[in-house]
Amino acid sequence: MNIGILSKRNTMMAGKLKECLENKGHTVSIYTLKNLIINYTLLKNDFCILKSKGLFFLYAGYFLEANNIPVIPKPQISFMQKNRIQSHFLMKRIGLLTPEIYLGTAETFRNQLDLNDFPFILKPIMGSGSKGVRIIRSYEDLKVENNAILYLENFIKGIHYNVYFIDNEICTLIKPPLSHEHVNMEKIETPDDIRNLIKKWKNYFTGDLLFGHLDIVREEASNKLYVVDPGSFPEFTNWKCKISPVDSICKLILEKYENLKKNKIINGL
Amino acid sequence: MKKIGILIDKYHLKYKVTEFLKYLKSKAEVKIYIEESFLLDSSESKFDEDIFFTKAKGDLLLAFVKLIEEEPNIPVINSYKGIWLAINRYLNSVILKKAGLPVPDFSLNPKGSNPPFGDYIIKNIIDQKNYKFKPIVNKVNGQLNVADERALNEVDKTDPKYNYLYYQKFIKSKWEYKIYGIGDDVYFYKQLPILVNPNKTESRRKIEEIPELKEYCYKAMEVMDLKLTSLDFLKSNDQFFLTDINCTPNFNYIKNGHKIVADLLLELAKK
Repeated sequence: MNIGILSKRNTMMAGKLKECLENKGHTVSIYTLKNLIINYTLLKNDFCILKSKGLFFLYAGYFLEANNIPVIPKPQISFMQKNRIQSHFLMKRIGLLTPEIYLGTAETFRNQLDLNDFPFILKPIMGSGSKGVRIIRSYEDLKVENNAILYLENFIKGIHYNVYFIDNEICTLIKPPLSHEHVNMEKIETPDDIRNLIKKWKNYFTGDLLFGHLDIVREEASNKLYVVDPGSFPEFTNWKCKISPVDSICKLILEKYENLKKNKIINGL
Repeated sequence: MKKIGILIDKYHLKYKVTEFLKYLKSKAEVKIYIEESFLLDSSESKFDEDIFFTKAKGDLLLAFVKLIEEEPNIPVINSYKGIWLAINRYLNSVILKKAGLPVPDFSLNPKGSNPPFGDYIIKNIIDQKNYKFKPIVNKVNGQLNVADERALNEVDKTDPKYNYLYYQKFIKSKWEYKIYGIGDDVYFYKQLPILVNPNKTESRRKIEEIPELKEYCYKAMEVMDLKLTSLDFLKSNDQFFLTDINCTPNFNYIKNGHKIVADLLLELAKK
């Protein structure tokens, strides 16, 4: 098969997946922002893997789907996790706790936010992980050059977890607050409430969420779990559990594609 | 009396809705939410409005629409989906084409990589800010290359810095057809293309209904989930091409447009 990987880089997980798929006899092209042209030239692929969820990779995913080329994971699922407004309301709809959010200009916050409510977390609306994320402890921290709309979240004080899941395997790690995926983290046994939370999250997507991760904070005051960021396709750098992430994901994706193909044939009949 | 929420930015409030608000306030209780001065708090999701109307498309208003839509039974004109698709030019091109609408060929290419067609126009990627189209026209090796200044700025100068350009095949047309969809009603106008006459209102005139464009308008509104829109068509070799779709049309160009839109809101309000 011809398989495309939409990824911001050739290396790391994308490179390893390419190698895994090539070892199984497939022809694999990685499309980065340097060589991705979003038009009919993408349609030579039997299916594509949406590794990165930047705007243009999402556009490519939607374009492929519109032209009946399967994309794994689905662009809409990745988009809902990339766009923080979408993911906030999605969490609430599923019944998961998530920090309340605020949007406004720096001036609006200055006039209408209570000083007692600090600190907040400033995040980009379209983003994932820790990129562009910082803690806001005072109005002075909110200084911006233009009248841009800012996105703030309540800061939840407590233990921060990075929880990976691949199929039914869950790998839970304690992470430093606001850190990215690649810092050293301590693996722990997955508590039951985290296991249940992951199950609830996965169930919402009815079989379309093969793997991913959630950043979760256990609030110190209440012991409740807040989901602070979802991730559709992490690097699994800190995976410290028994299966191999690359081999498992490679297998899951191929199985998913075969199922999609089978269903398409059945539906076509 | 019905309660109507208006989600708007300062620009539209100052220049585009004076008559509309005057009329609407005589018929309903109106509450105005201004993007630049409103604090959106996701924990405050109870509203007593019977309908909301959006006259802007910034990030805060998009989030606000999403928040309202989580509350059942309050209509929002236009919806989150409609606004999101309308501002994402590439996405709406893909969706409209899939729905069978005649959109010109289009391509998203990294800067420096040419599209797979000759004459083209470069347009901005996300059409979210208030801006007047400023064309830059060049002829290279006999091919016409038109670019919107802001699309080039997005690559070279200002935020957001994209590495990509959206190319649409250039359609040479004598007239530009402006079609307004307001609820179930469709209004037809034409004007000289901006490249021919930058003063678009000078040549604008009302025209008879064109059934083909009416069908396209209904189809576009359906797939994009828009209750209020304006569509731009160009015509070449007797074939129409849908070149742009807008989720916050300037209804002041239509005779009694402000009343038509206000009456639609009153009709669609939940009570």
